[in-house]
Amino acid sequence: MYLVIVGGGKVGAPLASSLINEGHEVFVLDKDPEKVASLQRELGMIATVGEAASVKALQDAGAARAGALIATTSSDEDNLAACQLARTNFNVPRTIAVAHSPENASLFERAGVDLVVSTTDLVLSNLATALPAHPLIRLMPIADRSQELVAIKLPAAGTVIGRSLSELRLPYGTKIVLIVTSTGQSKPSNSDAVIEAEDEIIALSPSNSTNELWELLTELR
Amino acid sequence: MNVIIVGAGNIGSSLARKLSDIGHKITVIEKNPTAISQLPRGRVDSGVMTVIHRDGSTGAAMLEAGISEADVFIAATGKDSLNGLAAQRAKIIFHVAQVITVVGDEGARTLYDSLGIKTINKATLASDKLISMLTGDV
Repeated sequence: MYLVIVGGGKVGAPLASSLINEGHEVFVLDKDPEKVASLQRELGMIATVGEAASVKALQDAGAARAGALIATTSSDEDNLAACQLARTNFNVPRTIAVAHSPENASLFERAGVDLVVSTTDLVLSNLATALPAHPLIRLMPIADRSQELVAIKLPAAGTVIGRSLSELRLPYGTKIVLIVTSTGQSKPSNSDAVIEAEDEIIALSPSNSTNELWELLTELR
Repeated sequence: MNVIIVGAGNIGSSLARKLSDIGHKITVIEKNPTAISQLPRGRVDSGVMTVIHRDGSTGAAMLEAGISEADVFIAATGKDSLNGLAAQRAKIIFHVAQVITVVGDEGARTLYDSLGIKTINKATLASDKLISMLTGDV
């Protein structure tokens, strides 16, 4: 697939390398001539100097035949503009943007960017898995973000410990997909499965009831 | 009308002054303290014109500017993409009735038309004015 990557920095350059290794045809656009020169010299990449949010630069990058555009600059507004111009002016079928500010991440989604990668969410979810708390970990958005795949690690002294799945009053539309025990074994999530201390619950939850699910599963005795 | 203007550069500050002259309530959001000096000081000091020292593309700055009461939102910084982001936040998140953005790149027009955001093109504006002067319409 022909892919245009906007921004050849800390995210864009390694991304371009790995996509080239996977056999894609990749074009990198960056406003910094030195960065472009080094991408060309060191990685043999096809790269050009241009502003992210410029129709002309996107045209020069061949956006009209791109299968996707991925905006990875350090500027949220440029990432949004690049994705939107790619869509409206060049009919690029899939646009992907990095959002550094959390409030921009949700705006990008509503403004029509197909996939938004929130750097804050990424860092938080990585920190969360490393901390001994019982956070709600958002694994993946599903079905136009109306649902989410989430993971919740249960506290040892939770009210749900020792109960079976059928006894839980889950929020409407929530489905428990898998239970992973503290030793890393998976248990089937049928209705008579019994919840044990330190289990991790993987659930498919409507996006607006993830907090309710978390409160139910982490409530302490 | 309640008007919020992001950016107190040449366009933003002259717009703020003129709209204030004809009686509109103006709030200007500008993060750069030197740019703020272009605004009419008397009106700022007397509180007729409100100035907020923040990045005007953020929701926090918009809330501080009283965006829920705003009739018009104008994005007039020198950077097209920043104007676009601010204008879309005003439209999509805060549902301001009239949203206008200044653009330098005419190619961005299709995009904003499709979003229901009006655009003012700096270059076109100047050339239209020149043409009307030459043809004696002024």
